[in-house]
Amino acid sequence: MPNPVAAGPVVKCVVWDIDNTLLDGVYLESAQQPPPADPVLLGVVRELAGRGILQAVASKNPPAAAEYVQQLAGLDFAATECGWDSKPEAIGRIAAGLGVLPGAMAFVDDDMLERAEVTAVLPAVLVLTPEDAAEAAGWPQFSPPVVTAEARRRGQLYAERRRRQEAASAFGGSRQEFLRQVGTRVTIAPAGAADLPRLHELSVRTHQLNSAGHPVGADELARLLSSAANQVTTVRLADDFGDDGLVGAAVLAGNGAAPGPAPPAMTVPLVMMSCRALGRGTLDALLAWLCRTAAAAGATKLDVPCRVTDRNVPFRLALAAVGFRAESAARAADGRTVFSRPLGGGDLPALPDYVVVSPRPVSPPPVSPQP
Amino acid sequence: MTTSVDEIAGELRDLLAEVTGRDELRFIPAATALFGSGVGLDSLAGTLLLRQIQRRYGIDVAAEDLNLDSLETLGTLAGFIADRI
Repeated sequence: MPNPVAAGPVVKCVVWDIDNTLLDGVYLESAQQPPPADPVLLGVVRELAGRGILQAVASKNPPAAAEYVQQLAGLDFAATECGWDSKPEAIGRIAAGLGVLPGAMAFVDDDMLERAEVTAVLPAVLVLTPEDAAEAAGWPQFSPPVVTAEARRRGQLYAERRRRQEAASAFGGSRQEFLRQVGTRVTIAPAGAADLPRLHELSVRTHQLNSAGHPVGADELARLLSSAANQVTTVRLADDFGDDGLVGAAVLAGNGAAPGPAPPAMTVPLVMMSCRALGRGTLDALLAWLCRTAAAAGATKLDVPCRVTDRNVPFRLALAAVGFRAESAARAADGRTVFSRPLGGGDLPALPDYVVVSPRPVSPPPVSPQP
Repeated sequence: MTTSVDEIAGELRDLLAEVTGRDELRFIPAATALFGSGVGLDSLAGTLLLRQIQRRYGIDVAAEDLNLDSLETLGTLAGFIADRI
């Protein structure tokens, strides 16, 4: 008999976003014919409703959007919140209306920032991406008998995250103090061949915290890994609440260990990070390490080409926080904006004391968690 | 009637306290750095702050300020907003 306490409370109500979540497109962008349903997620809605779990929608759309989705699903939602209020406000009204506590609610949205906002304001809510939700029917939070070990692990990760968020919102000090308090451990290590599948998965699944702006193929990653001119680095994250495994990676071009003098400017052609690591000091630590490593190799400037979009603002904030700046005209060959930081002058960003730098690849855990 | 820089700075202190959960930020001077040793704004809290600013003032700071220089201090951010409302 699985222990539901270990995986977190059973979810009694799931709140779904509509655009690019329950619908395969944006409702208001197609006035004539609204987009079709996402068949997988609509199947999850029906499956969970059949288990007695309340289904609700919260969407920045007119009420007709909820009626449309309801027709597609062939069931009545327990609550619908359509309007332009924030998602935490909408979820709060659904919770109050249905008499369900936030700790017994899940929220599914394709937009990372909507998820981040709900996480910050309502830390007890289980916040999921559509990819996660597609398999959530197998998690213990949604069905007490656990189906697979993988599902158990994934459900466990989210339970850990919920406990961490509750601790964070109860903690009064700075984010850095909190990270130390909960025993945060960031491990930076060279990538090994065994890391390739997870690196490829990160490249495909991280959109918002990905400087390339497009997935990098498995073949290209393998080539980078075996090239002496590129240093592929992995980042692992753990704390007292749990182990998130390999959450990010970066490629530093112009390897200081390669023969010949170091170029004056080194480049980071790729940085990618799971959004699960957001707010946990991991991206800042990786950027600091890249600056310090390039400086130690003799470079006087570090360039990070980045596709600027309205969704990777967190990435730009992390760059700004460690002193990277872009001339708006500075473009890489592929059109990305080049953010640069001088490495001289002794003002290199510090590596926080919870960062461990390993000289050798770290073996991946038996089950690799997802972003 | 326009909103003064001081009034905006006051509202930003409340927003900062909200997105970080740290009440002491309601009392920081305008010259406090938002990154690094000042507020220590990280990318998550920074993103949530910019979202609140967009909601309250209708200003998309990230779209207008490539390098996010406006986030240098509480005062520079208040000035950036005051210039646009």
